[in-house]
Amino acid sequence: MKKGLKVVSVLLYLSAVLSPDLSGAANDSEKLLGDVSDGSRAASHHLIYLYPENQDGKKGSKIAPDAKPLLPFSTRWTCGECHSYNTVSSGWHFNAVDVNVPPGRPAQPWIYVDPTIATQIPLFYRPLPGTYKPEQVGLTSRRFTKLFGRHTPGGGAGELASKEPEQVVREYISGKLEINCMTCHNGHPGQDQGSIDGYAVQVVRENFRWAAAASTELAAVRGSAEFMPDTYDPFMPEPPENKRLVPPTITYKENIFEEDNKVFFDIVRKVPAERCYFCHSNLYLVEKETEKWSSDEDVHLMAGLTCVDCHRNGIGHNITRGYEGETSVSTNPLVTTSSCEGCHLGEKSSVGPEAGRLGAPVPKHPGIPPVHFEKLSCTACHSGPWPAQNTYLAKTSRAHRLGTINVNKSPDALPHIVSPVFAKQADGKMAPHKLLWPAFWGALKDKNVTPIDLEIVKQTAGKILAKEKLPLSGDWPKLTTEHIIEGLKSLASEKSVEGKPVYIAGGKLYFLDETGKLNQEENHPAAQPYMWSIAHDVRPAAQSLGARGCGDCHSTDAPFFFGSVAVDTPIAAERQAVKKMVGFQDIDAFYAWAFAFTFVFRPWLKVIALGCCALIAVVLLLYALKALASVVKVLAERD
Amino acid sequence: MFREIAITAFIITLVVLALHCIAFPANKKRCPLGDALRRWSPVSILRKIVHLFTLLLLQQKISLLGVLKKLLFLLALLCFMVLAITGFYPLLVMDKHIYGYFVMVHATFAPVFAICVSVLAILWARNHRFNRGDWPLLQRIIERVTLRKLSAEEAIDENVSIAQKITFWLIIFLSLPLILSIVSSMFPLFGTYWQELLLAAHRWTALVFAIIAVIYLYLVIRTQLK
Repeated sequence: MKKGLKVVSVLLYLSAVLSPDLSGAANDSEKLLGDVSDGSRAASHHLIYLYPENQDGKKGSKIAPDAKPLLPFSTRWTCGECHSYNTVSSGWHFNAVDVNVPPGRPAQPWIYVDPTIATQIPLFYRPLPGTYKPEQVGLTSRRFTKLFGRHTPGGGAGELASKEPEQVVREYISGKLEINCMTCHNGHPGQDQGSIDGYAVQVVRENFRWAAAASTELAAVRGSAEFMPDTYDPFMPEPPENKRLVPPTITYKENIFEEDNKVFFDIVRKVPAERCYFCHSNLYLVEKETEKWSSDEDVHLMAGLTCVDCHRNGIGHNITRGYEGETSVSTNPLVTTSSCEGCHLGEKSSVGPEAGRLGAPVPKHPGIPPVHFEKLSCTACHSGPWPAQNTYLAKTSRAHRLGTINVNKSPDALPHIVSPVFAKQADGKMAPHKLLWPAFWGALKDKNVTPIDLEIVKQTAGKILAKEKLPLSGDWPKLTTEHIIEGLKSLASEKSVEGKPVYIAGGKLYFLDETGKLNQEENHPAAQPYMWSIAHDVRPAAQSLGARGCGDCHSTDAPFFFGSVAVDTPIAAERQAVKKMVGFQDIDAFYAWAFAFTFVFRPWLKVIALGCCALIAVVLLLYALKALASVVKVLAERD
Repeated sequence: MFREIAITAFIITLVVLALHCIAFPANKKRCPLGDALRRWSPVSILRKIVHLFTLLLLQQKISLLGVLKKLLFLLALLCFMVLAITGFYPLLVMDKHIYGYFVMVHATFAPVFAICVSVLAILWARNHRFNRGDWPLLQRIIERVTLRKLSAEEAIDENVSIAQKITFWLIIFLSLPLILSIVSSMFPLFGTYWQELLLAAHRWTALVFAIIAVIYLYLVIRTQLK
């Protein structure tokens, strides 16, 4: 009976999920109360009812503290009462899975790391060259959400409907990872993204339906949907037979419900920087023991701005990313004035003065030839860590799970991201980048490489590497060419692999020839590193490149051109490989060196030129005075 | 706009000089250019070009100073050619700002050229100074106004025409903004707006300088032919 009810519930849930209109609004054109501002800058008072998602996937009854079962509130149905959920979900943080959204400038990917199969591979739903779709490596949207949803505000892949029947059942139990409005907009210090019962942990436990509520100060969630049997029904919960398994349950904190069961949400429109930092923190390992207190924050934050002062959006959440050229992909009306140039220099064609928005200083750039502004982005001189002879390892929130529990704090923990790498962007300007050398097992067919399903790799090449000890630092195992040969042979015998098995690592493509000998190819597109531009942290003007003179970049040992970029690879014998920075800049290395060398003589050039001008001026003055003397003589009527 | 104006100015200058050479031959014999027009054989043309080049090898006095003057002039000429090519070729032919090795060569020859121009200014200023003999019309006007007869001075150097003197002083005068406009941009004094102005000033001054230098060289050749 219960199983039958469960099946009916699942079917009803499916039909609701797959139905087209799930928003609080009857349709997208209908504006809700909170979709359009009346212009008041005062904070809105959010004393509202809580609504859950019901077993049909639709809006449930108001949550009361004595309800049974006690369900987590759904942001779609709670916040969606006044703010069009579908409109919000079209925003930049949530629309990665929408194939119709132009991806814009290359961004930080999700990096799947598994040292047991010597893999670090960039994944992205957005169609960015150099990245791969999660399904290409066998990751379903559900699995992707479990792995990476920890550092997302929900939505996106978390709301994609599963296609496999077994996944559908699990989805009914876990729910969907809805947009968590509270990730950004909760002004209460009790917002918990990363602690032991916080948002990230709930995602790992597959408590997607409970994650948003658990992240707030209003409720606590225990248990795990991951370990619940397929027969478990969260809407008619019964304790599983195995007493050691704890089903996901929510407990609302005392006294949060008013008399009519409304609950107060401390909602802020201006998102504090700390909220953004959970997903967007960077740590550059300048020293071995670098910690966040030893490096300075972005100069804009130090000046009193917050992230959202520049990165703005309306109800559509089409947040500005703030790079030059974003106008080609964004319809945000502030996109032009939200870039570095737009804010500091303004638009020349504007009707009124736009330079100096938000008190931004208007830079004079004295002594810098204008050609620099054609060839360099603003970030080339002003952003990221000061370049050194060797690139640094960098850690990011999303890649290294910063801010969550049980993070490997070792500087060598995978994935290995190196920075800053000064390279040419698509717009032809040089900018600092973070760089990832992909390492993965793939299949070569018609000169294209597609990654092999991770499960297949684990069952084949993974068994070869299973004997190697993994370092506690989270670094690569010591991979040898023998490992690669055995791994490729193992994959070659796997019938489901279409194409010739190859291994990509350290900028090279490894393959076996007809005789079984290992060969390598250096310039294959699939082996090229994936790079994304960095914009933060911005250094103050006194710490920008060029502040100490032209020699910051134009000297024969300047890191900007001649720094060494570490080539990260699991292969032990090739760990010391480097590539010169100039190799990423589409510039001839000799020319770069020769041009830098000429700057040695630049002071002499100035002295000689000024000296010659002085001589010429004296000659001109002398003969001008003689001419004047002649004129005076004639006017005085004397010979 | 600069590209179009520069190309037009160079073409007009060369055409005017060619027409002037044909219309007013430098010596009693026909202008070398006129011979070339009449005799089109490649050998004849080549011979005339070499002859024209040798005319730039000015007569020198045997003294050390004479040798220095001549060498400086030839060096200045070489530097001028290199600077003109590296400066104008990318812009006029490739429609790009000066870049790459063009910049390096240009910046390498520029101080040498500056030295040559400044030293030649000192060495040749006296020979190119104006005297009353250069301005007969002005002399007549002054005599009318003052009712005094001015004594005509002899020209210091009969080989230097008034046009040559004018172009010489224009070259010396223009070399100041030409050099200063680019050198001053190398100091942290001027912001982006002024940097662009200085660059434009250098570009336009260089155009006028190059045209006047071409005219001056033409006049030098004509003087040598007399």
